[in-house]
Amino acid sequence: MTAGTSAGPALSRGLRPSAGPQQAGPGGRTRKSLRTDGPAGYFFLSPWILGMLLLTLGPMLASLYLSFTDYNLFTAPEWVGLQNYVDMFADQRWRQSVLVTLTYVVISAPLKLAVALAVAMLLARPRRSQGFYRSAFYAPSLIGASVSIAITWRALFSDDAAVDRVLTALGFPSGGWVGDPSRALMILVLLAVWQFGAPMVIFLAGLKQIPRELYEAAECDGAGPWRKFWSITLPTLSPVIFFNVLMETIGAFQAFTSAFVVSSGNGLGGPAGSTLFYTLYLYERGFQDFRMGYASAMAWMLLLAVGLVTAVLFRTSRSWVFYNDGSS
Amino acid sequence: MLNGERHRSRLLAALACAAVLLLTACGGSGGGDGGDGGPVELRYSWWGNADRAALMQQAIAIFEADHPDIKITPNFSDFAEYWQKLNTESAGGGTPDVLQMDFSYLREYGDRGLLLDLDKSENPVPVNDLLPGLQQAGVVDGQRFAVALSGNTWGLIYDPAAFQTAGVSVPERWTWEEYGAAITKVAQTSGMAGAWDYTSIMGVFEIWLRQQGKALFTEDGRIEATPADLERFWQQGVDLRAAGAFPPQDKVAQALPVTVMGADLAASTVNLDSMVTRYAGESDREFALGALPSSNPADLGIRLRPGILLSAFSGTDHPRQAAQLIDFMVNDPRVGEIFGGNRGLPASNAQRAAATPKLSATDAAVAEYEKTIAQQLTVPSALPPAGVGTADSAFLRINEEMAYGRISVQDAAAQWFSETEAALR
Repeated sequence: MTAGTSAGPALSRGLRPSAGPQQAGPGGRTRKSLRTDGPAGYFFLSPWILGMLLLTLGPMLASLYLSFTDYNLFTAPEWVGLQNYVDMFADQRWRQSVLVTLTYVVISAPLKLAVALAVAMLLARPRRSQGFYRSAFYAPSLIGASVSIAITWRALFSDDAAVDRVLTALGFPSGGWVGDPSRALMILVLLAVWQFGAPMVIFLAGLKQIPRELYEAAECDGAGPWRKFWSITLPTLSPVIFFNVLMETIGAFQAFTSAFVVSSGNGLGGPAGSTLFYTLYLYERGFQDFRMGYASAMAWMLLLAVGLVTAVLFRTSRSWVFYNDGSS
Repeated sequence: MLNGERHRSRLLAALACAAVLLLTACGGSGGGDGGDGGPVELRYSWWGNADRAALMQQAIAIFEADHPDIKITPNFSDFAEYWQKLNTESAGGGTPDVLQMDFSYLREYGDRGLLLDLDKSENPVPVNDLLPGLQQAGVVDGQRFAVALSGNTWGLIYDPAAFQTAGVSVPERWTWEEYGAAITKVAQTSGMAGAWDYTSIMGVFEIWLRQQGKALFTEDGRIEATPADLERFWQQGVDLRAAGAFPPQDKVAQALPVTVMGADLAASTVNLDSMVTRYAGESDREFALGALPSSNPADLGIRLRPGILLSAFSGTDHPRQAAQLIDFMVNDPRVGEIFGGNRGLPASNAQRAAATPKLSATDAAVAEYEKTIAQQLTVPSALPPAGVGTADSAFLRINEEMAYGRISVQDAAAQWFSETEAALR
């Protein structure tokens, strides 16, 4: 779980005022062994460094170059300058994929986080068989990315399947969702929301760090549950929320598998292009039409867009993320 | 202690060296052959499932017994992965010596200089036993880049019971108008849609044009049809859909990857005749084959289309042996007997005769159908231009948007033309 481990810095920065003892070691020795073990350290890091250089950085630079060319894998790449980037904006299917992806990100990421926070707050209170519930709610995010779950999901939302029957019994006859362009994307949103385990665990850790005294003091002042949530939980949890918003937004931009499995019919992203994620269209351009230059340009546009969104999030975070690190 | 540590770091270094050596060894060429008297190695790639692979092993065993100096290294994958893999291998200069080829990719590979001219190789592959419509199938601008080993053609696949229940008889020949009226009646009386939306298939559009003496593509790979042609063709589909002759599009999308016919959503379809084997596997219904509708009863506008072709890599070290393998796979009756209808109906008369006793009931029906319209199938198929695969999938996708009512016929036609012009560039 990379999401879980990388939560570390954000958490320790804001919410571990009493973390002192672990950091202070017997100074001299630590420093010396750091110096002499340097080469060995790099040696042991070398698989990662090599992997990063050869499998990530190298291909990324190659793809940057290819994005300025017309390249079909066979003939040598032909330099076309910014043509691929210009073509994109005239490409109807590209514009559709952008729209579908943005819709998906804007709906699925906040919805997933809201569910994750709600469940985390329910599970934060000590109660019996707490461990069981936590595992049970976490389980979907372990299996949710698998192809078999996506296939099951597709079956659930077909005509006369579970979802249709339950809704019909409740008085909302809905029919199948899979073949309906206006609802197919919602299947994928729900599949994403169902996998709320990772942000939930991070929220749980964050909730545990909120000092009890704050709540006790608020209760003495007569604050109700809502007031405590708005004035204590949300502000003290804001660094964790920020981290989760960032991770989930970036993750949602990159969604691929679910749409590939659930909605691939007459071409990718069906029905009628309603689930054409950006990544899906990129795959179609690169690996079905073999227009690698165009696909590379698309990949770099995605990187730029995600970078931009991340930058905007960081900028706005100054006004709503509260770091209780005692410096103010 | 110290000794142990030094020992351990030496071990690590040795392991690292071994790893590096292993990597470079893998990067080296895998063809350990040449003139040193050992058997020549031929890499042979095809698409297909495990069933086909098992049959292929039997065929390869016979070939290797006949030619003790040749060793075959087989490799197979699914259709979609096959092309990804082949493209990547070819980009790296590692095209297999002998490879299965599809009609819609032939020009692309031929134009890139990747394929051997099988007429000029040291052992030209004989094609005189092939069905007349298939003999010239692999020729690109005068060079024989591939030889067809199987063929199929277009037809009407229908469920006789559904038509009978509706009181509609299937004549030997009919026009599109008669067919349209028939499927509308079937839909009205039987509750099942009369047909799968045949206007979603580019191949049917091509046939429809040909029946009127027109063509979809020019010889030099441009679009010859006009947007007005496509609008007329698609308007037929829109009208029939409005009349209820086609199944609702959301049911069609939901049934995928099962086909409309396999999911019992329609009583008939215009499609490649070999598709009936797939439908029969998906559905319990009985299917029959008949001639497809035509605006010109004398000419159905259909051609014998090569199903699978075989090519050799232009850079192969062993052109003679590659040609021998292709000859064996295309012409040897023992291969026809092993495969039956697995690769489609064989292209050569010798293999077709040898395969006949092994054909399933549906394969036999296809063979029978092709026999009844044999006089229509003597003109060879024109080679589709490079990029036709993209045009084909765009046709299906844009038609789907129309079926959902999201786009007008005029806009749909304009969109297909603009996408296809870009793809054929």
